[in-house]
Amino acid sequence: MSSRPLVVFGLLGTSLDAGKGPARWERWRPTVSLCQHEDLLVSRLVLLAEPRFGELATQIEEDVRHASPDTIVERIAVTWKDAWDFEEVYAGLHDIARAYPWKPEREDYLVHLTTGTHVAQICLFLLTEARYFPGRVIQTSPPRKEGRSGPGAYTIVDLDLSRYDRIASRFSRERHEGQSFLKAGIDTKNASFNRLIERVEEVAKASRAPMLLMGPTGAGKSQLAVRIYELKKARRQIQGEFVPVNCATLRGDAAMATLFGHKKGAYTGAVADRPGLLRKADGGLLFLDEIGELGLDEQAMLLRAIEQKAFYPVGADQEVKSDFLLIAGTNRDLGARAARGDFREDLYARINLWTFRLPALRERPEDIEPNLDYELELASRLLGVNVTMNRAAREAFLEFAVSPRALWSGNFRDLNASVTRMATLAHGGRITKEIVAEEIERLELSWTSGRIHLQNGSSTGGADILAEVLGPEAGAKLDRFDRAQLEEVLRICRASRTLSEAGRTLFAESRKERTTVNDADRLRKYLARFGLDWHTASGRSS
Amino acid sequence: MLTLDGATGEGGGQILRSSLALSMVTGQAFRVHSIRAKRSKPGLMRQHLAAVRAAAEVSDAVVAGDEIGSRELVFRPGAVKHGAYRFAIGSAGSATLVLQTVLPALLATAGSSSLVFEGGTHNPMAPPYDFVERAFLPIVRRMGASVSARLVSYGFYPAGGGRVEVNVEGCPRLASLSLLDRGEVRRTQLRALVSQIPGMVGVREVDAFLAEVPWDRSCARPEVVKNSPGPGNALVADVESEHVTEVFTAFGERGVRAEEVASKLAKEVKRYLEAGVPVGEHLADQLLLPMALGEGGAFRTIAPSGHTRTQVEVIRTFLGTKVRMDERSAEECVIEVEGTRR
Repeated sequence: MSSRPLVVFGLLGTSLDAGKGPARWERWRPTVSLCQHEDLLVSRLVLLAEPRFGELATQIEEDVRHASPDTIVERIAVTWKDAWDFEEVYAGLHDIARAYPWKPEREDYLVHLTTGTHVAQICLFLLTEARYFPGRVIQTSPPRKEGRSGPGAYTIVDLDLSRYDRIASRFSRERHEGQSFLKAGIDTKNASFNRLIERVEEVAKASRAPMLLMGPTGAGKSQLAVRIYELKKARRQIQGEFVPVNCATLRGDAAMATLFGHKKGAYTGAVADRPGLLRKADGGLLFLDEIGELGLDEQAMLLRAIEQKAFYPVGADQEVKSDFLLIAGTNRDLGARAARGDFREDLYARINLWTFRLPALRERPEDIEPNLDYELELASRLLGVNVTMNRAAREAFLEFAVSPRALWSGNFRDLNASVTRMATLAHGGRITKEIVAEEIERLELSWTSGRIHLQNGSSTGGADILAEVLGPEAGAKLDRFDRAQLEEVLRICRASRTLSEAGRTLFAESRKERTTVNDADRLRKYLARFGLDWHTASGRSS
Repeated sequence: MLTLDGATGEGGGQILRSSLALSMVTGQAFRVHSIRAKRSKPGLMRQHLAAVRAAAEVSDAVVAGDEIGSRELVFRPGAVKHGAYRFAIGSAGSATLVLQTVLPALLATAGSSSLVFEGGTHNPMAPPYDFVERAFLPIVRRMGASVSARLVSYGFYPAGGGRVEVNVEGCPRLASLSLLDRGEVRRTQLRALVSQIPGMVGVREVDAFLAEVPWDRSCARPEVVKNSPGPGNALVADVESEHVTEVFTAFGERGVRAEEVASKLAKEVKRYLEAGVPVGEHLADQLLLPMALGEGGAFRTIAPSGHTRTQVEVIRTFLGTKVRMDERSAEECVIEVEGTRR
């Protein structure tokens, strides 16, 4: 209950509200009846009417004035030509909602959904759900008994209520159950990605062999591993736990013990028996992310554990048994590393049975939108409000997201962080164009500083770039000396908008000494040695 | 502060309106809880809110809980101001109910007031204007008040749009009233009001009524109402006796035959005539307040209704005066009202 004035928005019902002569008072007319309820005091009725129905609108205004003198009628002209044209009606109502001087702290709003074409009703509903009309929905119905007079009944529905959220989430659950389990309810459109997922699903269902997930950081390797685990668990193929390990975090003695466990007193500090993660994964699934970072000793132990389903914990004389499924993840070209001796060939052969390469987000532009929706849903659950994006905001974000400006160097991790930031800043869960503009700046800035990190020596994904630009065979024939240099040069090219910009970055130190004048020319000549020009090196078509 | 239980007696809007009226006259603040608690839509409805707002305006009151659906209201009246007022009331409400709420206070305040009521004037759930004009106000005038009313246009449910103008002169003292005998019936009148519906409805109502009550046909006629914005129909019977005029009304509505409307009214009129009392059920409810605020008096009526008993309770709460009901038979009761100004 509220003592704030009640303002109702409704469309003029060109047939339901119509009626001439005194007999009109014997009909149930939703808009007039709305103002006749003894327990509903409408302080202002905002009547949305097409100008060509002005006469009817005037009559309704007059009738409301008589039947409910407390109600002020405000008429707003709607300008669509075709009341059944979704886009036109939506745009028309959207404009009205955008322009209306809302005072939600002083007035309560209801949106009357009983009149207007079905298209208009749906649009009003959507705009109310998206909080463009910051109110509740009111649905009216005629008196129950045919031919009886009286204003009938009304129901007020608050689309913000948690009850409605439950309905919405039930709906989305059902919708998603029809899709691939492994897509986590994301309606991905990229054909090659969808094929990949289908294949992963087939393998996951049919095989207990190790899998290798390749792809750049943030491409979703961990998420896919979790979904494979859940799929297998749902099919009762495994009962044990999901044990994720990031091999990049394992260093030294502790790495061995963490993975394989140790006996009490095996080394200084080993004060008790430790079972180790492989043991923990017995009967379950072990996900070794960044397996390329694993030390050679650990690689040997792991190979034995996979082949024998048994291993020796540190300092133990007796083997421990553990039967686990293995999924390995890497953002490196393990094959190349194995060829160079950085990774055990036998282990590589063992885990390279089913290798899937997850594409980067940039390679799946058509999947950015479904993933955006997914992230919005996640953010809604996380923040406890329904996070939505209005059309302008969504268009602006997507336009940027698929443009060459958007590097998405952290892939889905970047997208997730981006949506989380926007959702957090969105007032009442509405992400606006302004918030998007701000976020785009933030993203671009983070990717620019990312370039500086790259310059400082990380070589993540280098093999991918070489293979992509030169072709896999030519890439493999390069000396390691050239490979290292070219990888870095190509990465700078990718991150730069022009040849000159790339040149300035690459030769920044020499510029300080003023020993060179034409960085761009120097870079062009360097690239030419590998048969490359700016376009192929930068990946920019124009 | 006085406290009233809104669910007692008839348990509807009457207890609220009477409390407002007496609070304004006496200056006593009150709190009423459980407003319309047992009704299907409990709490204050728009028509009740209209009465509260009108009372607050006239008496410069401080009000809490004046919201739709509110079950509790606190009303602290200030000084009653005479003057010009305009009250717009929705068609489901009634001008006469708001008049009933503010009239006692304006009568008790020196100075003249002119009131304009816009909205419903003929509503099945309230005393129709005809009753106020020809039954109630003449008796108030007999008690010494100077009050007149004029119907500018009819306002039927649901279209409303009626207009009533009332002029009130402050009257320092309402005289004692004695209405124990009706005297001879001198004149009867039957009017079938029809607005924007076929005139034949009125003709049929008159015929059907006269078939049950053998009144003079020359004083019975359908009357087409011209200046009402919506459709409506009411059958109004006046019984003018030597000491009192009573007015009875039945409303036509969609789906109810004209003959049924006439029969309903005929039944009510016959009951009054056969009881031989001067004051009918509705008039009895209306007279209690002005009598209790004045020098009191006595009248003879038919069996007291739930409304009448509720009025008696509210009067006792606010004024401390007694109302004695002597029920002599199933259809006869003498009510003696102790006035506050003896």
